Amino acid sequence: MNLWLKIICIACLIYTAVFSFWHPMAPGGLEVSAKSFHPGRNEFSFTGYGSHFLQEKQSMQVFVTVDSSAVYCADILSVTDEAHAIVSVFLPDTLSSNQFGFLANNNIDGTLLVEAPVGSEGFTFIEGTKNDSCHYEVKQEEHMGFGYPFQPIIIESIRNLMWHVPMWFTMFALMIISFIFSLRTLSNKSGTPDLNFDRKAAASAGTGLVFCILGLITGSIWARFTWGAWWTNDPQLNGAMVVFMVYVAYFILRNSTPDHDKRSRISAIFNIFAFALMVVLLMVMPRFAEGLHPGKSGNPAFSKYDLDSSLRTVFYPAVLGFVLLGYWFYKINEKIRILEDQQEENHHDEKS
Amino acid sequence: MSVFSALFVKEVRLELRQKHTLAGIFMYVLATVFVCYLSFEKIETPRTWGALMWVTGVFTAFNAMQKAFSSDGNGTQLYLYSLAHPRHIILAKSMYNALLVAVLNVISLAFFLLFFGGEVIASADFGQLILGLFLGSTGLGLALTFVASLAYKSGTGVGLVAILGFPVIIPLLITIVRHTTFAIEGMSYLQNSLNLLILVVLNLLSFVLAFILFPYLWRE
Repeated sequence: MNLWLKIICIACLIYTAVFSFWHPMAPGGLEVSAKSFHPGRNEFSFTGYGSHFLQEKQSMQVFVTVDSSAVYCADILSVTDEAHAIVSVFLPDTLSSNQFGFLANNNIDGTLLVEAPVGSEGFTFIEGTKNDSCHYEVKQEEHMGFGYPFQPIIIESIRNLMWHVPMWFTMFALMIISFIFSLRTLSNKSGTPDLNFDRKAAASAGTGLVFCILGLITGSIWARFTWGAWWTNDPQLNGAMVVFMVYVAYFILRNSTPDHDKRSRISAIFNIFAFALMVVLLMVMPRFAEGLHPGKSGNPAFSKYDLDSSLRTVFYPAVLGFVLLGYWFYKINEKIRILEDQQEENHHDEKS
Repeated sequence: MSVFSALFVKEVRLELRQKHTLAGIFMYVLATVFVCYLSFEKIETPRTWGALMWVTGVFTAFNAMQKAFSSDGNGTQLYLYSLAHPRHIILAKSMYNALLVAVLNVISLAFFLLFFGGEVIASADFGQLILGLFLGSTGLGLALTFVASLAYKSGTGVGLVAILGFPVIIPLLITIVRHTTFAIEGMSYLQNSLNLLILVVLNLLSFVLAFILFPYLWRE
C-alpha cells in the first residue's frame, strides 16, 4: 500500500480515537422525578445532562406542557447543582389531556426537553383547554456550542457510532473485493482457476471476517447499553450473525480441500453464494421486518443525526480511516498467504 | 429437454431401486415427529407449531440431501459428464431433490396433523400452509443440492454439508417459519404476501446461482 495512504489511515484513526471521546455532549434533559400529577401544587425535580443550571440560575425557566398545546409555568424552588432543579407547578382542575412534557430553558443550554410518562389523578379532561396565565417564552433554538446531539436513550454511547458503523462499512468493502476476485478466479479464459485471484479473495474475506467480529462486539456492547440485552431478536443482528457463520463456513471449506486448483474453484463458487446471501441478509431482509436496529421501516435510522455537523466531522474521517485500515490489513494478509504458498512449494521441491 | 427428462427419470429410478434409503428417511420423519409428540405432548401456539414443523423439515432435508451426489459413484459422474451438459445435470438433480424434500415434508405435515392436530390449527388456512410447505421445501432442496455438490467436490465427505448448509438456509428458515405461523393463525394471502415474495426470491436466487455456477464446479 502507498505510504501516503498509510499516513492518511493512521491520521484518520488517531483523529477518530481522540475526537470520538473528546467531543462534549450537547446538554439535554435526562428525567423528571414526578410519578403522578394532581390538581394544585406539584413538586418535582428536573434532571439535566451536561447542563448549566447553577451557572444560569437567573435565566432558568421550567415549563410543563400538556398535549403540546397548553403550557404551565413552574416556579423554581431551588437549584441544587448544575444538573438538578427542584420546581413546583400549579395545575388547574381541567386539562386538555394527560400527555405531559417538560421543558427547561436557560441562556447557555437552550431548551432541554424531557418526554416522560407521568400519571395523573383527579383531573377533568376537556380537549382544547388552553392556559393564558403562563407567559410562554421558550427559546426554541438548539444549544449553539459544538457537541454531539443529545439522544434520550443513547446519550454518551452515540460515540460508538464512530466505531461500530465504519467497521461494518469496512467489512462490506472487503467482502466486495473478495467477491470480485472470486468472480475473476472463475472467469479465467484458460479454464484453470487463477490462484493469485483466489489468494486475494481469501485474504480479503479473512480480513473482512475480523471486522465482522469487531462489528458484532461493538454492536453487542451498544445493544446492552441502549436496549438492555447483549443480543436482541432483530433482523439486522441475526443477519449479521448468519453472515459471520457463512464466512466461517467459507474458511472451513477452504481448509478442508487440500488440492489448490480444486480449492480455488470450490471456494470461489461458495464465496459468490455467500456474497449474494450477505446482500439479502443485511441489505434486503431487514427492510421488510420490524426491529430495533436503526435503518429500516418504522425506525427512522440515524439519517437525521448523521446530518448533524458535529457527528459528520468525526464520522467521515472514521469511515475513511477504517476502510483504509481494512485495505492495509488485506494487503498484509495477502503477502502472508503468498509466503505460505511459497514455503509449501519449496517444501514439496525438497521432498521430490 | 430430453436429456433433462432422461436424467430426472434416472434419479427417480435410482431412488425407487434403493427403497431402503427412502424407507430410512420415512422412518426418520416418523420418529422425529413422534419424539416431538412425546416431549411436547401438546402445542399451544401457532409459532411453536410452525417452528417445530420446520426444524423437522430442515433436518429431514439435510438427511435426504447428504447422498445427493455421493450416491453416484465416480464412474457414473464421469459417464454423465461425457454425455450431458452440467446445466442439465444440476437442473435434473435440483428438480428431483426439490420434489423429494416436498414429498417428505408433506408426509411430515401429515404426521404433524395426526399428532398435533387440535385447537391450534383450527383456524389454519390449508391452501397457504401447503403453498408455503411447497415453496419452503423446494427452497431447501435447491440450496442443499448446491451445497451438497460443493461438499462432494471438495472430497471431504458428508460432514461438510451440514457446516456449509446451515448458515445458507437460515434466511429461508426464518421466512418459512413466519409464513407457516401466519398461515396457521389464519391470516389472508395479502397479509402473508411479503413472506411469500421473499420465499419466491430465495428460491429463485439459489436456483439461478446454482445454475450459473455449477458448470464451473463440474469441470475438472
